Amino acid sequence: MNSAGYLSVFKISFKQEFAYRLNFIMWRVRNVIQIFVVFYLWETVFTASGMTLFGYDKPKILTYVFGLIIVRAFVLSARAVDVAGEIARGDLNNYLVKPIDYFKYWLTRDLASKALNLFFAFFETLFLLYILKPPFFIQTNPVLISAFLVSLVFAMLNFFCSLFIVSAVPFWTPEAAWGAQFLFSAILVEFLSGALFPLDVLPIILQRILSFLPFQYLIYFPIQVYLGKVQGQEVIKGILVSGMWVLILYSLMKIVWRRGLKSYDAYGR
Amino acid sequence: MTRKAEKAIIIENLTKNFEVSLKGEGLIGGISALIAPKKKRVSAVKSISFTINEGELVGFIGPNGAGKTTTLKILSGLLYPTFGFVQVVGYTPWDRKPDFLKNISLVMGQKNQLWWDLPAVDSFELNKEIYQISDDVYSKTLNELLSLLDVQSLVNVQVRRLSLGQRMRLELVAALLHQPQILFLDEPTLGLDVVAQQKLRDFIYEYNRKRNATILLTSHNMDDVADLTKRVIVIDKGEILFDGQITELVGQFAKEKIIKVYLSKETDFKKFEKIGKVKRIDYPQVTLSVARGTSASAAAEILQNFPIADLTIDEEPIEEIIRRVFDGEMLANKLKKRKVKKRS
Repeated sequence: MNSAGYLSVFKISFKQEFAYRLNFIMWRVRNVIQIFVVFYLWETVFTASGMTLFGYDKPKILTYVFGLIIVRAFVLSARAVDVAGEIARGDLNNYLVKPIDYFKYWLTRDLASKALNLFFAFFETLFLLYILKPPFFIQTNPVLISAFLVSLVFAMLNFFCSLFIVSAVPFWTPEAAWGAQFLFSAILVEFLSGALFPLDVLPIILQRILSFLPFQYLIYFPIQVYLGKVQGQEVIKGILVSGMWVLILYSLMKIVWRRGLKSYDAYGR
Repeated sequence: MTRKAEKAIIIENLTKNFEVSLKGEGLIGGISALIAPKKKRVSAVKSISFTINEGELVGFIGPNGAGKTTTLKILSGLLYPTFGFVQVVGYTPWDRKPDFLKNISLVMGQKNQLWWDLPAVDSFELNKEIYQISDDVYSKTLNELLSLLDVQSLVNVQVRRLSLGQRMRLELVAALLHQPQILFLDEPTLGLDVVAQQKLRDFIYEYNRKRNATILLTSHNMDDVADLTKRVIVIDKGEILFDGQITELVGQFAKEKIIKVYLSKETDFKKFEKIGKVKRIDYPQVTLSVARGTSASAAAEILQNFPIADLTIDEEPIEEIIRRVFDGEMLANKLKKRKVKKRS
């Protein structure tokens, strides 16, 4: 399929999102409320103590939390969570008999969903900034901003490839679809990506180890780059490691899927 | 250049085994399956061979679990075979080359490709891009398919709001937009009402005739097979038991004739049982089946002993014979005997 084809996938994904308008709106409302809650929580903590924790002052922790929600929504929200189910139910059949690249298909659908969410997130952020008037840390260094954007794209690709690898589990054990995804997304990603807390509160030795694994590049690293907490060589090193993981995970995904399709039973009657 | 009948589908010694994990009943069975999984190998297809010529419409019949769907899945590239040679329009299906995929379509009665939440036209437009159909060809084919299947008014309705019959017809439109040369139909009339079934059948017949498309069709619906196909392949337990003209199948297995009598007055119906198998009593009509060779003497006996207004002798209907094939009644004994004889 050519690029016009993927554009068509992009369009139909948009229509699909709008088919559940009410769902979508409620979900956005939930996001906004979530930001409110987290914002007031941290603001209270820092107003009370009025100090610096782990090198985070009030504007930076608030920015971390805010950034967390935005980066999280961009990186970890993936339509492709449905892939495992499609394999287990045999819906994958529909795609396999067509001249279409299943991976690119889902990547396109993901991008459509992310684009839509980003569009709404932009206006929500303006709204929240207006209401809360938070003491935000605004990064002005164009080099760091570009590095932030690059790290964000790598983060998205890393998560997407990992998700496709984990989603391949039902090729062998169709019943394990949910378990594998839970282990991956709830345990590994939530804890090790920095989605729950900034990773620099951890012991140095643990931070060292994590810097060679892909997880922290999903959330923690992009935010640190934005906050300017990593600079110079550290930024370049981080982006290189993250980019390397994109290559590794992509190749691994290709291998896993090639083998998976061989043992695929094409269920569904 | 003269075109001779070319082989569209070639299957040689195709075997497909599945590993099936066994689970005991209840919680204990579930746990023991978790600790020490037991696997069983199931042979879905056992070394089958057949070829289908370009433009042929072939019925693929047999009881549940016979291996029909497995074979279709291998032919359309969804499954890798365990062993054997398969070629479809010159391609190895499971390589899934784009040029191969553009030439085939697989329609499964209970699998849908249409987007559930959107009108069907959105799915059609997506397929247009996936198969890279030009604008002219697309609108021409779409209009033709829509009017043949009589669904023009439904394309802008959200798919979830359609009835099963309406949806199946639109599914067929989606599956045929790229005008595949090879069509695999798995139970296409499943769950449809009689009118919708007939529409679908007429359409399949037309599609085969007009485009010289090769069609392999499985169905549990006798009418589908009897109406549409000249050649049938009968499969049971992964083995091919019959491959030939449907008339030959009938000739071989129509062991009975049907006698219908209209009585002029009530009589002792029990006496009919001495003459043949009574299939139905619906006074004044009685239907019974008798062995082929004895039909004339049976009729004579009936005329002598009963108050008869009218009497007819008919061939066993094709549907009936195919139904018996589905039931697997004659498969085990008669066909196998024939096979063994052939070999020795």
